[in-house]
Amino acid sequence: MISHDFQYEAPESFDIALDLLSSFGSEAAVLGGGTWLVPNMTYGRHRPKVVIDPKNLPLRAITRSGDELVLGSRTSYAQVIDSSSVADGAPLLAKMAQQVTGGPQIVGQGTVGGSACYGNPSSDVPACLVALGARMILRSKDGTRDVPASGFFLAPFVTAKRDDELLSEIRFPITSERASCAYEKLKFSTGSWPIVTANCIATTSVGSGLHLKIAVGGANETPVAYEVVTDTDPSEAELSNIAQRSAPLIEREWADEFAGSGYRRSVAPAIVRRALREALGRDRV
Amino acid sequence: MRKQKLSFKLNGEDRICEADSRWLLVEAIRQLDAAGTRVGCLTGDCGACTIMMDGAPVKSCLVLAVSADGASLTTIEGTSGQAADAVKTAFVARNGFQCGYCTSGMVILATEFLSRKRDPSEAEIREAIAGNLCRCTGYDDIVAAIGDAARALQEQHAEKSGA
Repeated sequence: MISHDFQYEAPESFDIALDLLSSFGSEAAVLGGGTWLVPNMTYGRHRPKVVIDPKNLPLRAITRSGDELVLGSRTSYAQVIDSSSVADGAPLLAKMAQQVTGGPQIVGQGTVGGSACYGNPSSDVPACLVALGARMILRSKDGTRDVPASGFFLAPFVTAKRDDELLSEIRFPITSERASCAYEKLKFSTGSWPIVTANCIATTSVGSGLHLKIAVGGANETPVAYEVVTDTDPSEAELSNIAQRSAPLIEREWADEFAGSGYRRSVAPAIVRRALREALGRDRV
Repeated sequence: MRKQKLSFKLNGEDRICEADSRWLLVEAIRQLDAAGTRVGCLTGDCGACTIMMDGAPVKSCLVLAVSADGASLTTIEGTSGQAADAVKTAFVARNGFQCGYCTSGMVILATEFLSRKRDPSEAEIREAIAGNLCRCTGYDDIVAAIGDAARALQEQHAEKSGA
């Protein structure tokens, strides 16, 4: 049993939810899938005065809206994996979700928005959202803000979401049909947290070569991303050079009990190179 | 302490209880004659508390009891049907357990898995139980039992369609 007393609310409308967030601020916690919040309350590491369960709010839909894929913030990884809209519109997101660990229960319970708001440097989600150019839609009593994923992750476990805001949607530009993508990660055991993740979206345009969008997670305190334009059929040496450019971007390296100082920066280029090669359809080495 | 009235379906029966908002779902169901569901790590790692909630397997230590208001829950006590019978028989025949603490979660998950997957490979079985820890490390027998159950189900289907 959770040791501290708290108020549980399952608001029937956004207005009520946003009122609660406005009143309680940092003393409120919003349930995503519960996979982080609930055990942290059980172990007394997080002691919110009020828990807001948005189960009655429409936050679980995946829809296509014009040139965007719109994901409700409480969409689970399992929904992402099963969605043909995601497979067509943001295939990298599906590839990431397929590699989430913890078994089918966690894949069904964990949510993309919950992971984003948690802002754990080691999560699969943040760098993937940055690679995809996602926009985070934040609602509060004052209105709606639209924050790009590249500006959402500020520091370990700190995001641009204010205490009175609720992440309602994540919007993705539709990935070009000409693009291919890859998600690779280094982890030390089947069920472990990722040590470094690498996202790559490769797009070939007639006359303008190969455009590569790369985002690295886990290695820095927040995701790092860069873009490269190169020949349509880059050599292995060129791919290594491109991968190597990730290392100097890791200015605030993330280190923990799984991988100490210097490790993640050292291995990041190797994981990026795997993602590049995978995206270009080259055989695994 | 805040009590909240909670009603849900547990193994097909409507149940109503006064739940403390601090209760985890696994704690609430264990108080309702369904103590076969185990409390393991309370971190979401071990899977001993796995139940079916609205048709999907969940780790019930990661769910607040009050969140389950209106839900339909199936625990090990309520697992029934062809797949569940095949899984239970195979676990016994193969000694798919040592201390037994993980068994209810394993059986729930294997039953759900085999109701979706007719002819799983060993790798697929291992992936399916990736969220359930057997701390006795008896995985080989558990994986073999799930494989046996899959084959038994295939034979039953073949007999049915052949007849």
